[in-house]
Amino acid sequence: MTADVDAAPASSAAAQTTIGPARPMTSQGRRWLRLRSTLAVLVTQLVVLAGFLAFWEFMTGQNKAAAFMFGSPSAIFKFLSQMVYDGSLWRDTSVTGLETLLGFFVGNCIGTLIGLSLWYSRFVSRVVEPFVIALGSIPIIALAPIIIIWFGTGLISKVAMSTLSVVIVALVTSYKGATGVDPDQINLLRTLGASKFQIFRKLVVPASLADIFAGLKLTVGFALIGAIVGEFMSSSEGLGHAIFKAGSLYIIPKVFAALVATIALALLLTFAVGKIEQLLMPWRRQQR
Amino acid sequence: MIETSLKTQTGTGVAAPAPPLVVEHVAKSYELDGGGIVPVIGDLSLTLREGEIVSIVGPSGCGKTTLLNTLCGLLAPDAGRIRWHGREVAGQPQNVGYMLQKDLLLPWRTALGNTMLGLEIRGMPWAQAEDRCRAMLDQLGLHGFADHYPTTLSGGMRQRVALARTLVNEPDVLLLDEPFAALDFQSKLLIENDTVGLVRQGRRSLLLITHDIEEAVSLADRVIVLSKRPTQIKAVYDIALGADRHDVISVRQAPGFSDHVRSIWADLDVVLQ
Repeated sequence: MTADVDAAPASSAAAQTTIGPARPMTSQGRRWLRLRSTLAVLVTQLVVLAGFLAFWEFMTGQNKAAAFMFGSPSAIFKFLSQMVYDGSLWRDTSVTGLETLLGFFVGNCIGTLIGLSLWYSRFVSRVVEPFVIALGSIPIIALAPIIIIWFGTGLISKVAMSTLSVVIVALVTSYKGATGVDPDQINLLRTLGASKFQIFRKLVVPASLADIFAGLKLTVGFALIGAIVGEFMSSSEGLGHAIFKAGSLYIIPKVFAALVATIALALLLTFAVGKIEQLLMPWRRQQR
Repeated sequence: MIETSLKTQTGTGVAAPAPPLVVEHVAKSYELDGGGIVPVIGDLSLTLREGEIVSIVGPSGCGKTTLLNTLCGLLAPDAGRIRWHGREVAGQPQNVGYMLQKDLLLPWRTALGNTMLGLEIRGMPWAQAEDRCRAMLDQLGLHGFADHYPTTLSGGMRQRVALARTLVNEPDVLLLDEPFAALDFQSKLLIENDTVGLVRQGRRSLLLITHDIEEAVSLADRVIVLSKRPTQIKAVYDIALGADRHDVISVRQAPGFSDHVRSIWADLDVVLQ
């Protein structure tokens, strides 16, 4: 009993010294914590990737048939460095990149312009709606043979494929943005004496930017799919061409090597869109 | 403040000019999707004189906002006439400022950019508009915040920017729909005080729709109490508290203030469940 009584104050004092009073955190400390959690995520991602590649390498190293069917990271790397060496990697990537970029740009310009301007007339947008849905439901690959007949086998046909994959999505997302504007905000501008065009320019367009950029990020992938499908159908260069050729010759690691380049291209374009978004919408950055 | 307001008063004309706003027997109903018709405003007449502050209070859902939107020309009345300075106007009336509980600031514009919206729409040269807006923001205690985006401002400051955006257009008449309802008590008193000061100083007229009886009594020269739907005028109180009407905080201590509040509360006929 007496030991207990003696021990009680001692233990509470010990607890106080170990826990201590809550210290206010410095901004430097907070920045370090944030950096540390970002680093933790990055390291985990690298470990997962390395583990996956190691497993792949190990499994295909044991078995020749598996190596043939699935390739191996080392073989893929060998092909990649060979493609860098003979210049085909850069040539194919730049060809596909140009097709994708042009299709992305043209498709988004046309789609966004139509989508935003549909805000102007409820009547026109109701007339157009079923046609948009119908066009949007066409699998773009089904159009490829016609596109090649119309535009030939060169750059233009791939850009057309890419544009078509993008345009409906861009139209729908920008229209959604335009019609989602707060009606009270429209009323406010009306009471300030704004014309319909002023409401469009000063309110509807900037308010739609968030949705437009969501569409842009989505359509990077679609533009790339369009370009590669176009190259599958008929082409003499480009990443789609490289994949198709290597695939029909059963050179699986080379297929993967071209795929790696495709993924890198998609990541680069997505990153660029994100940067442009930050540049065009600075008020979103201040929020954080 | 009183001296300056007296000096800035423009000489009232010889013949009494038409009051800024006259509402005569206005009625408005809504059609439901099912086909039924809900009469919102039954029969409403009121007059807003020059330099007068009128508050409208009413039970929840009595169509106060419908009334405001009808006055602004955003909705067309089913019956009756609305005359601005003696004339009926098609569409939006000129020189009317409109402000809601939501600040409706555009997030992509800074405080200054939001304040400039009205002048920009009217096509005022940029530099002139900017000078006027900066001065207005300073007057409302937002000095140094002109280049901040709305997301970085507090609720009270955002509502001040909205007030600046309304006042910088120098409207003859302000229509405010519960503009301070979302603010905490202190910010509310301060912004009320500034609003009343600027309105009285500029000899503007103010129609304030609110559910806050104390706010209605402390700000207004006249309080109009509305009935339940279909809305009619139930009672009108002239608030003559004799105090300095520029100071909404001292008015709350004036003798007679709580009597007004109590009788309006009784008029609203709130049933406690």
